[in-house]
Amino acid sequence: MVQKEVEIKNKLGLHARPAALLVQTASKFKSDVYLGKNDHEVNGKSIMGVMMLAAEMGSMLVITTKGADEEDAMNALFELFENKFNED
Amino acid sequence: MEKSNFKIKCEQMFKGIPASSGIAISKVFILEGEAVKIDSAPIDDTEIETEVEKFKAAIQKAKSELKTLKSKAAQRMGEENARIFDAHQLLLEDDVVIDETIGGIRQENKGADAAFYEIMQKYLQTMEKSDEFFRSRISDIIDVKRRVIKHIQGNRSDYLNKMQGSAVIAARDLTPSDTVKLDRRKVKGFVTDFGGKTSHVVIMARSMEVPAVVGLHKLTEYVHEGDRIIVDGFEGKVLINPDEKTIKFYRQLQERLDDTLIRSQEIRDFPCITLDGKAIELSANLEFPDEVDAVKKHGAKGVGLFRSDYLYLKSSNLPTEEEQLQEYLKIIRKTSPDPVIIRTMDVGGDKRPLSIAIPPEENPFLGWRAVRISLERKEIFHAQLRAILRASAEGNVKILIPMISGFDELVECKTAIQKAKLALKKDKLPYDKNIEVGVMIEVPSAALMTDKIAPEVDFLSIGTNDLVQYMLAVDRGNERIAYLYKHLHPAVLRIIRKIIYDGHQAGVWVGMCGEMAGDPLATLILLGLDLDEFSVSPSAVPEIKNIIRSSDYRESAKIAQKALQFEKASDVEKFMTKIIRKKFKNLIL
Repeated sequence: MVQKEVEIKNKLGLHARPAALLVQTASKFKSDVYLGKNDHEVNGKSIMGVMMLAAEMGSMLVITTKGADEEDAMNALFELFENKFNED
Repeated sequence: MEKSNFKIKCEQMFKGIPASSGIAISKVFILEGEAVKIDSAPIDDTEIETEVEKFKAAIQKAKSELKTLKSKAAQRMGEENARIFDAHQLLLEDDVVIDETIGGIRQENKGADAAFYEIMQKYLQTMEKSDEFFRSRISDIIDVKRRVIKHIQGNRSDYLNKMQGSAVIAARDLTPSDTVKLDRRKVKGFVTDFGGKTSHVVIMARSMEVPAVVGLHKLTEYVHEGDRIIVDGFEGKVLINPDEKTIKFYRQLQERLDDTLIRSQEIRDFPCITLDGKAIELSANLEFPDEVDAVKKHGAKGVGLFRSDYLYLKSSNLPTEEEQLQEYLKIIRKTSPDPVIIRTMDVGGDKRPLSIAIPPEENPFLGWRAVRISLERKEIFHAQLRAILRASAEGNVKILIPMISGFDELVECKTAIQKAKLALKKDKLPYDKNIEVGVMIEVPSAALMTDKIAPEVDFLSIGTNDLVQYMLAVDRGNERIAYLYKHLHPAVLRIIRKIIYDGHQAGVWVGMCGEMAGDPLATLILLGLDLDEFSVSPSAVPEIKNIIRSSDYRESAKIAQKALQFEKASDVEKFMTKIIRKKFKNLIL
C-alpha cells in the first residue's frame, strides 16, 4: 500500500473534467485507488465518488493505492495533481 | 425542470393555442416531461433479472447516445470542450453506482428505474449540501440520470397505462409512442406546454373527439395531480381549480354543444353535395381500427386516410402480414362498400417506432422516415403491401404512399406493389387486380412535379400538415414560431391549385387529408379550387358537410380566385372569416 498527500492546485478544483481525467487514469491500473478528504474516503475509480469529494482549490487529499502496480498508479496520479490537470 | 411548490388554490387561467374543440371538466393527470414518473412499487422476485438486464441495456443505450453527442460536440466546439461528455460517460461506467443499483434491484426488489433513481438522488442530495461551486455540477448528474431512466422506461406509454379513472392529461409534450397504449376511454382532454396546431397530440385529440390546448408554456410546473381542470378547446383556455360559478358556466356550454351535435347528426345521412349540384367525397381520417364506428356515426363516406403507423409503434415486434390483414379487415367490414385508403407506414419524424431502430437524427422530419424506410427495409414494405392487397379482396381498398419526394421513389414503389401482387398470385391468394394506387403530395419537390407524377398514379392526396411545414420552413411542433404556420398562406394556396390542376389534366382525382381539409375557413377555397375529396377527422365531418351543402360551387370558385390574390395569410384569414361568419351564424370558429 502506498499513501501520499496532495494539494489541489488548479483554480476550479476537482470539477467534472479533472475528476474524469483522474478516474480515467486510476482505471488504467489494476490496483485499488482511494481518495480521502477529512475522514471521508471514496473509490478513485468512481466518478460519482470523486465528484462527491467536492474538493476545491487548496484542499488536501490523501491518495491511497493498493495492489500489484501501486507504485506506478501513485506516480501517474500524483503527476496529474502536480500538473494541475493540464488546466489553468 | 423542478416543480414549483406554489400550489394553486384559487381559480387560475392559462391561455394556449386551441387545438381540438370541445369542453372538458375533469381532474388533472400529469405525465412528467423528461423527469419521468418513477414507479416505486416493489417488483416480484421473478422480475428481478429482467429488471437487471433492462438496467444494463439502458446504460449501454445511454452510452452510445453520449458517444454520438460527444463526436458532434467535438466537431462543433473542439475536442477539448467535448471532454465534458467524458465525465458523463464515466458516470455510466461507474461500477460503484452500477453495483449499488443492481443491489437495490436484487436485494430490495426495486424496479430498475426506482433503484437507479434513488441512488442518483442520494448523490444529488449530498452535492446539494456542498458549496456553491460544486452545486453547479449537479446539472451534469441530472442529465445522466434522465438519460438512463428514459432508456429504462423505454417510453412513457406503460406509465400512462396506469391512469386511474378519467382525467385530462397534462404533459410538457406527448409523442406517439407515449400515447400508443393509452386507454382512450379514460382521456377527457389534453393540455401540453409545447406543440403547435398539428403536433401529434392534436391529431390524437381530434380523432378521439376530446378537447386539446397546446403551447401553454409552463403549465405543467403549476398544476398538480388531481387538480380540478376545465379545458376550453374553442378558446384555448385552461382553468385550474375553477370556482362553482365557472363550472356552472361550462356545464351549460357543454349542454349547448351536445345539442348542436345532435342537430348536425340530422344531416348525417344526407349526401355531400353543393347547392348547384356538385358532389364532393367527404371521408374520414382514422388512426385506430377501433374508432371505425365514428366514421359512419358522423356521416363520412369511407376512410380517406387510415394511418397504419400504430401497427409499428405499439410494440417492439414488427406486425406480421396476418396481423395487419386482420386490422385492415376490421375497418373494411364496417365501412364497405365505401372506400378505405390505407397509407403505408409513415413512421420516423416525431413517430419513433419500437419495432424499427431509427438512429438519432439531427433533423428527423428531413430524415429517414415513411417511404424512405419502406424502400430500404423492403421486407417490411413487402409484408405490408401483401396485407393491403389481401384486404382488397374484401372491399374497396386503395393504397396511399407517403412522403414521395421524387419520381424514382414512385417507380420503385410501383415495382414493389407489382412484386407483392405476383407473390400473392403464386400463393393463390385473392386481391383486387385493379387496386388504385395514389401518392401523398406533401414534399414541395413532388408538388412541383405533379404534372409528371399524376399520369403515373390513380389519385393524389394532399398532405397539408407536412406540405405547409416544408413549404414555409416552419417546424410544426415549435410553438415559438407557430404563428408562421398557416395553411391559408397564399403560397400554400397556389401550390394546392397547381396540384389539383395537374391531377385533373392527367385525369386523376385529387383529395386532401391534412388538418386543412377540416378547417371551415378553408372549405370554400378548396371547393372552389375543384378539390374532389375531403378527408377529415370524424368529428369535423358534420361541420364540413354542412358548409358544402349550403354553398355554391361557382360562387366558391370566385371566392378562391380572390383568396389567391392576397399577399398575406392574415388577409386570407380575415377575408374567409368574414364570409363564413356571415353565412353560418351558428358556427363556432
